[in-house]
Amino acid sequence: MSLLRVEGLTKRYGGLVAVRDMSFSVGPGEILGLIGPNGSGKSTCMKLVMGIERPNGGEVFIDGVPVAGQAAHRIARHGVGLVFQHSRPLHRQTVLENILLALLPDSLLRLVGQRGLRDRAAAIAERCGLGAVLHRRPGTLPFADLRRMELAKAIARDPKVVLVDEPFAGLTAAEVADFSALIAGFRAEGRAVLLVDHNVKGVSALVDRVLAMYLGERVTEGSAAEVMAHPRVREVYLGSGTMTRAARAPRAAADAAPLLTVEDVSVLYGKAQALDRVSLRVPEGACVSVVGLNGAGKTTLFNAISGLVPYAGRISFAGESLAGRTAGQVARTGVVQCPESRELFGDMSVRENLDLGGARLPAPERARQLAWLFDLFPILKARQPQRAATLSGGEQQMLAIARALMMRPRLLILDEPTLGLAPVILEQISRALEVLRTTTPITVLLGEQNVTFALPHADWVYVLEHARIVWEGPPERFAEEAGDGLL
Amino acid sequence: MRIVLACLVVLVLLSGLPFVASAYVLGLLTLAYYFGVFAMSWDLLFGFAGEVNFGPTFLIGLGAYGAGLLNSQAGWPVPACVAGGAVVAVLGGVLLALPALRLRGPYFGLVTLVAVLLLTQAVTIGSHWTGGEIGMSLPDVLSIDDSTNYWTALAFMGVSGLCLLLLSRSPVGLILQACGQDPVEAASLGFNVSKHKLAAFCVSALFSGLSGAMLVFYFGTVSPGTVIDVAVGVQVIIAAVLGGRRTIIGAAIGAVFLIVAGELLRPLGQLSTFVVSAIALAVILFFPDGLLGYLLHRTSRADGPPP
Amino acid sequence: MTLALQILIDGFAISALYALGATGFTLMFGVSGVLNLAHGGTMLVSAVVAWWVANQAGAYGGALAGLAAGLACAFVTYGLIVRPIQRSRAIPQEEKEIFVLTGTLLWGIMIQEAVAFFATTSPHTVRPLIAGVINLAGVRTPTNELLTAAICWAAIGVLWLLINRTQTGKALLAASINPRALTLLGYELSRIHLLVWTIYGVLAGVAGVLLGAFLGVSSDNAGTLTASAFSIVVLGGLGSVSGSLVAAYAVGYLETLTAYLVSPSLRTIPSLLLLVAVVYMRPQGLLGRR
Repeated sequence: MSLLRVEGLTKRYGGLVAVRDMSFSVGPGEILGLIGPNGSGKSTCMKLVMGIERPNGGEVFIDGVPVAGQAAHRIARHGVGLVFQHSRPLHRQTVLENILLALLPDSLLRLVGQRGLRDRAAAIAERCGLGAVLHRRPGTLPFADLRRMELAKAIARDPKVVLVDEPFAGLTAAEVADFSALIAGFRAEGRAVLLVDHNVKGVSALVDRVLAMYLGERVTEGSAAEVMAHPRVREVYLGSGTMTRAARAPRAAADAAPLLTVEDVSVLYGKAQALDRVSLRVPEGACVSVVGLNGAGKTTLFNAISGLVPYAGRISFAGESLAGRTAGQVARTGVVQCPESRELFGDMSVRENLDLGGARLPAPERARQLAWLFDLFPILKARQPQRAATLSGGEQQMLAIARALMMRPRLLILDEPTLGLAPVILEQISRALEVLRTTTPITVLLGEQNVTFALPHADWVYVLEHARIVWEGPPERFAEEAGDGLL
Repeated sequence: MRIVLACLVVLVLLSGLPFVASAYVLGLLTLAYYFGVFAMSWDLLFGFAGEVNFGPTFLIGLGAYGAGLLNSQAGWPVPACVAGGAVVAVLGGVLLALPALRLRGPYFGLVTLVAVLLLTQAVTIGSHWTGGEIGMSLPDVLSIDDSTNYWTALAFMGVSGLCLLLLSRSPVGLILQACGQDPVEAASLGFNVSKHKLAAFCVSALFSGLSGAMLVFYFGTVSPGTVIDVAVGVQVIIAAVLGGRRTIIGAAIGAVFLIVAGELLRPLGQLSTFVVSAIALAVILFFPDGLLGYLLHRTSRADGPPP
Repeated sequence: MTLALQILIDGFAISALYALGATGFTLMFGVSGVLNLAHGGTMLVSAVVAWWVANQAGAYGGALAGLAAGLACAFVTYGLIVRPIQRSRAIPQEEKEIFVLTGTLLWGIMIQEAVAFFATTSPHTVRPLIAGVINLAGVRTPTNELLTAAICWAAIGVLWLLINRTQTGKALLAASINPRALTLLGYELSRIHLLVWTIYGVLAGVAGVLLGAFLGVSSDNAGTLTASAFSIVVLGGLGSVSGSLVAAYAVGYLETLTAYLVSPSLRTIPSLLLLVAVVYMRPQGLLGRR
């Protein structure tokens, strides 16, 4: 008898189907890994089970009880515990009080504290390795302890079903071992565990079964090894075995003067180390690809370059340091980012978005640039008066890239341009990128987890994993030296 | 629990005042104590449930006029009127909060402000009973003796403060804080956030209403200018922010400070409100944690930086 | 029939005035996220300065001085109160809105009391820019009333042109949708904020001067002015300029109708009830986005 059973679960956001007809079950003492890249719908699935989002169709059974559509707190009381990906401590309370909260019933009448509960909370804290910091506030704790506290809260709820979102993000190898032991403890206690992550390899030692998702749908299910070997999974995550590269004269020699230099850059988000002493060079005119999974740090790296987040280390562009410049200044210097989230002005038309990008140009130049971009992306010309929010995903991505190009950048940063797009659109964007590379002097820094897309365009590849550069080299050597780590 | 002890000591000291201070000072402090309860009730709602009530005078006014009307129209004795006023305030609070708590961000505050405007209009329309803008006199008062009034107010503030403080430190208080700080987390831990926020609103309404009712029996009159005006509500909010959000006791301190400062500056004539507002503004800009908040954080650095 | 026409004309003028006052308020919220509760105070300053200078330098001199005073007041509000709070590290991000509200509220009270001190609370009437009365299809209307409506609509028209036809205006609109994206396109947000406060200052200044001529200026009005701008903006939709226009006319006409047909003292009630209904049933306002 399964403790968690999901049947035909579906969720739509407007026209976008985030989760389509998902069905799976998890029995007592079992850990199921729900794996997929960003945009695959795995996090949405988890939110649907927890009740943070309401499904449009399908049913969720907790120990046989149907709960889909109920409020989150009611589902929680049915016996579901959730460990969020990003820790959510109560900042003004101590560790003990945070865990104590998880032990309290949903009653208005608890006016007197109970000794027994505090002792239980302390015991749970001990079990999770927080015994020494019971009376400290979350603001003073290191990252790993905050994650421990999340697990402690889940344990305190004594749930039948535990949902864990990206458990190992930001942890060192030793901490990963600790956490795995705690999660395995859930299994030993007979609970059902649903683990959501983007990396099969990272969780393969812990999970009993893996379900791979892509674009909201189930791809395959089986043991970790079976899933990693499955051809469709490999195709979707890594690209097919042979990667054809367009024959092209090498664009830039490795010793050409670098346009962008990143040296020893580290970024801290609160307690999490988002970037750890990352260094890279982008030669002028080249296309450099930074490859890595979600949470590896690509967006953080680009945000540091663009001046959106504070960092330690040195970043210089065209020989000048970018330190201390505002985001606007960095963009005006010629470093233009097309962010992962596209950041379009949804209520404004396609034309207005483009005009804003070209606002700094004199009118005739702007007109020329616009004409060139309409040539590159003909669909945008047809959709000029349309509100950006009503465009399809692929059209929005093209608009975002075009808007960035309106600024006539020297360095164009593209953050996951293929995220969530259908293969046919990828073709168009890939072709546009090729035109960019061969007919303009623009330097490109491309961040991608879709290696099939990135490799044919790249002159040099960096692999970013858990906030560090773990490999760099030419694309030809990538498959044999670094490919497997990405699955 | 140092705070509770410190408060008890202060309360004992304050109760000795009638033996040394003039009637004028006693009268001023009596008003300040009732105001302190207004501010503490506001802090419970803001500091703990995370809801900003821009119209605390809706609840205070309901309590005040409820009690006043029961006395002047139905001739009830004072204690029954005070209780009745509190009930009216709670009922009004529930009516307001049930739909309002579904609104997010500035809209909740807005609705509370609109409620005050509506109450003002209602008082004007019903001026036959309420005396309209001018207000009405009540047949009964709490007491004619300044000392008695003072002790009543002090005791009331002390008891209310204690209740609210203990509530804020109880398990329910912990749940309330979670609901206010992070409703999504609170829900995933199994707490019905709406239910708790509604309960917090009712408690706030109860104490505001009680205090409003007692205030009118101290004055012997009730008028919009003293219990409904937006300006009064603003003073309540400023008192709580000045004293220190989320401390409960700080709100009372802020209230006493505001009222006393207002009086001390009275020789300045019309500029007194200006100066008090300027001081409050300076505190908000430079000491956003408020008077008590600032003191508390300085003494407990070991717990880590204030959030 | 004459009554209907009278209501139509009076309602039009007062609505235009409300619209001007509300437009600046909502623009400020839409682009900078600031609910400026010193709005009434800013208009009061414009009106009082206009009245005082008009006594020395004539109606036009007074109007210009009033406009300048409104602009100055807006800059002081931004520079001394709003910006320090927004940049403060001692205030948690979620509470900044409340602090800005409380800070501007206190500042508004300070303005009100200062004006009361210097100019007493009894209402003064700013001399109208154009004296005289015009006969419009049988209704005797003060020329100034028509001039007021004309100036309001001219100002709103200029604002519309600015936002929809100039690149700077489009940048303002973009800032209200997605400020982060705008910085990625090379814009400096600090300049955008400064621009918004300038536009706000001008709009509030003009509204204040005209209001002074229409209703007379008294320091008691400041709170009511803020409250009515607030209500109109919420009714129309926080951040929506077209929404404020529609709502201003709805409120203006509701008030005029009630004042003429029922009783002047009850004129604010129907608009209040409308506000309550909208806040409960459609909290984002009639034309609001967020």
